[in-house]
Amino acid sequence: MGLKAFIAKRIVYSVFLLLAIIVIDFVIFILMPGDPTMFLVPLDPSGGTATPEVIQRREQILREVWGFGEPFQVKLFKYMRNLLTWQFGVSFLYKTDVSKELGWRIPYTVFLIGGSTLISIVVGVVWGVYVVYKRGSFFDSASVVTSLITGSLPTFWLAMVLLLFFSLYLGWFPNAGAFPREWAGGRWPKAFDFTVNGSANGMSIFLHIDPQETFRLISGYALHAFLPMLTLFIFSVGGWVIYTRAVMLDVITEDYIITARAKGLKEETVLFKHGLKNAALPLITSAALAFGFILSGAMITEAVYTYPGLGQFTFQAIFYKDYSILMAVFYIVSICVIVANIVADLLYGVLDPRIRYG
Amino acid sequence: MRSMGLRKSVLFNLRRFFSFIKILFSNRKAAFGLIIILFFLFMALFPFLFTENTPLGKDPETGGPVGVKFCVPAWFRHLPTWLGGNPHLTENFRAFTDPGFPTIGENGEYRFETDANDLVKPYPDPNFGYPLTVPIKGLNEKNGSLAIKFVRPAGQSRGEVKAYVYRQFYYPYSGYPADFEGNVELFVNGSVHGKYLDVPVRLRFFVGVVEGERYYLWPPVYNNDTKYLGAVDALYGFNFTKGDVFVDRPKSGREMSRYWIISRASPMGASYIKDNQLVRISMGLRGVDSVITKIFSKNPGNYEYGVEITFLDSDFEDKNVWTTVYVDDLCLDLYGNSYGIMGTDHQGYDLFAQLVYGARISLYLGFAVSVMTVLIGLVVGLVAGFLGGIPDQILMRINDLMLCLPTLPLLIVLAAVIGHTIENLMIIMIFLGWNGFARVVRSMTLSLKERPFVEAARAVGAGTGHIIWRHIVPNVMSVVYVNLATSVPGAVTSEAALSWLGFYDPTRMSWGRILNNLSFQGGAAQAVVNPLWPILPGLCIALLASSFILLGYALDEILNPKLRIRR
Repeated sequence: MGLKAFIAKRIVYSVFLLLAIIVIDFVIFILMPGDPTMFLVPLDPSGGTATPEVIQRREQILREVWGFGEPFQVKLFKYMRNLLTWQFGVSFLYKTDVSKELGWRIPYTVFLIGGSTLISIVVGVVWGVYVVYKRGSFFDSASVVTSLITGSLPTFWLAMVLLLFFSLYLGWFPNAGAFPREWAGGRWPKAFDFTVNGSANGMSIFLHIDPQETFRLISGYALHAFLPMLTLFIFSVGGWVIYTRAVMLDVITEDYIITARAKGLKEETVLFKHGLKNAALPLITSAALAFGFILSGAMITEAVYTYPGLGQFTFQAIFYKDYSILMAVFYIVSICVIVANIVADLLYGVLDPRIRYG
Repeated sequence: MRSMGLRKSVLFNLRRFFSFIKILFSNRKAAFGLIIILFFLFMALFPFLFTENTPLGKDPETGGPVGVKFCVPAWFRHLPTWLGGNPHLTENFRAFTDPGFPTIGENGEYRFETDANDLVKPYPDPNFGYPLTVPIKGLNEKNGSLAIKFVRPAGQSRGEVKAYVYRQFYYPYSGYPADFEGNVELFVNGSVHGKYLDVPVRLRFFVGVVEGERYYLWPPVYNNDTKYLGAVDALYGFNFTKGDVFVDRPKSGREMSRYWIISRASPMGASYIKDNQLVRISMGLRGVDSVITKIFSKNPGNYEYGVEITFLDSDFEDKNVWTTVYVDDLCLDLYGNSYGIMGTDHQGYDLFAQLVYGARISLYLGFAVSVMTVLIGLVVGLVAGFLGGIPDQILMRINDLMLCLPTLPLLIVLAAVIGHTIENLMIIMIFLGWNGFARVVRSMTLSLKERPFVEAARAVGAGTGHIIWRHIVPNVMSVVYVNLATSVPGAVTSEAALSWLGFYDPTRMSWGRILNNLSFQGGAAQAVVNPLWPILPGLCIALLASSFILLGYALDEILNPKLRIRR
């Protein structure tokens, strides 16, 4: 089977997988306790409840969109239709469109977890190679033990301790949110602005960058993201060290490494050029898989730091039994993982021509 | 012959086991991991060797939580101030006895004073005491009480006659106590002889500095519910006015012994219960901050507490008068603002006990989840790998599905669905955890079943079961051991995370729940005041988890000869 046929097969299988996941999510949320319709009768500011007509109207909408009060198969059908057409409905909790909420939250999560994943992969791989370079030494065993320990730490506790120490005790970092509170409501620092001059001769665009404001903008985000990123980094870097070490140790017993050493190459050159290049394949595919878990990865960390990403969104949705959010999140996370799996499979084929598909 | 063979095999297995242990301990990671695991195991099995309290255990003497809420560790008193120590911290102090009033007087345990020595006489009454049918405060009923008898012949009236029964104690701490609780039971008995009349009596409970001001603390500070007091007054002749207790019309005769006036702190607040003909008026004498700082103004110093009994002898000057007041269970508890090794939580329970007993839950859950996931994973992996075909397909598809679902949110959602007792959490973790290991076993089985020794076994006619059991399983066992160790940390940290999020077992105090209490009841302020509260439970989780990981990693090194060669 060629590559194209393999991709086609893989995609068809993934679609079935996605449908199965939708059914599983549906069953889970059917079983979940609590009645979402109770959010449909919110107290209005004067202390009374919504008028019966309003409630009736809302219930009618719910029945039409999600099939509440209708038989199982109708519900399931409507549910599938909604997810596949990217209509996640209205959040019971936020009273806004879930896809809109997701739209502004996903960038934060991608920034936070993508950034920390990237940093920990780079640092972990380099560290792992260096550990192999120093193999058998105290540094080797110390690195392994440290990596094992940091990888098994309870994340929420690590986040809590870092928050308490750096933010509350030392006061170096802000303790909540993704940006300074005074920026809320669109009052961002004006880092740059355009001036467009149009005339008969043509058009010129001036881009004015204010370095001070730019610095404020970047540092505002960076300071808020630092502690969550540090938490995720500490938690995940160890795994990359151990994995790189294991993969590299497999590679450096190969004959071509001995040949490279025999040529009189420096050990660093041998490790990075001959060793890491050949060991990179499993590392790259697991990196692809790791990026697939970006959206599901950091519920607890985001909850501790109240970082307004997808994780905190999920966390609140679980607490307030906001089904529409949970369904959407589970769905999106599944898609991400499935896509990441396909990408990993493809990377294998592209990077290693020896692999035959079948 | 048979027994001989059995003995030999037992000896052989024992020797094998011990040499394996020896190898384990020669590996530093394994030794470190094992020692920590054994320590926690010891803590889980014998928690009472570490602490006398239980996680939600009551104080045996007071029947309430062991201290006031948010105590800091007691040893913070000895820390230098720049390290966060505070020399003015106080501990629980019990000026507390269950008196039978054996000795009264100048050198006795309880002192007695009166301004009319000829009229007022104290004597211990061994037969008449407060009938403690419902044990409160852990007081054991001791027969007898102190009787204070006021007998005044006709024509010798002196107006108000005061008598004091009190106890002195030395309070050794330099700071204020955080709270206190007083307790006394009184019975006012009228005359038993027809030729005597009764006098009204005023009763007061007091605390104060010796030779200093006495603060009268009865009725309790927060007691302003006059409705039932009126009822009591109407029914039994008690009268509560101006902060004092008056007994206007003392009842006569011992048969009225159910009309004791009882003062004690009760979680129900002030109330009276008609319970088996025993009328109990429960009244708290709990202090409030301003009262405490006023009363305990000379620390460390000598204090006294007791009752003041005033016989209001202004009527019936020409008649004989006889009234007796019985005093029982006079005691005082002072609660400090520091407690034990780790302090107390938001309800006043001992944090250290919660920490020690938390090891049980983590180990129980960790072991159960790891054993069950490995067992299920082993069976499914073996079957799928060896048989192939449909079972294999099913396993792999389930595996694909499980991989796509976000684990922790799913765990929480399922916990919300089936209820979050510790056993349910285990079931969910096993349900979500077996497939990864099954996949490992499957791939190993796939490669093992193509090996020559399986072919040879099949050639001599061995069945599938025999081949799996005698040829495949022994070769998979190294992974089984490793996974037994490495699947514990995930379960332990997941349980902690769930408990921290609030999905804890309400009947058990786990490490995660301690941290939940800190985050959602204590808040950041408590974490700064008592840093042990956030640090130690998390450290225990981390230590336990990493010791299992280290053990698993070391086992992998030991059991996997390929890994050994490279080094």
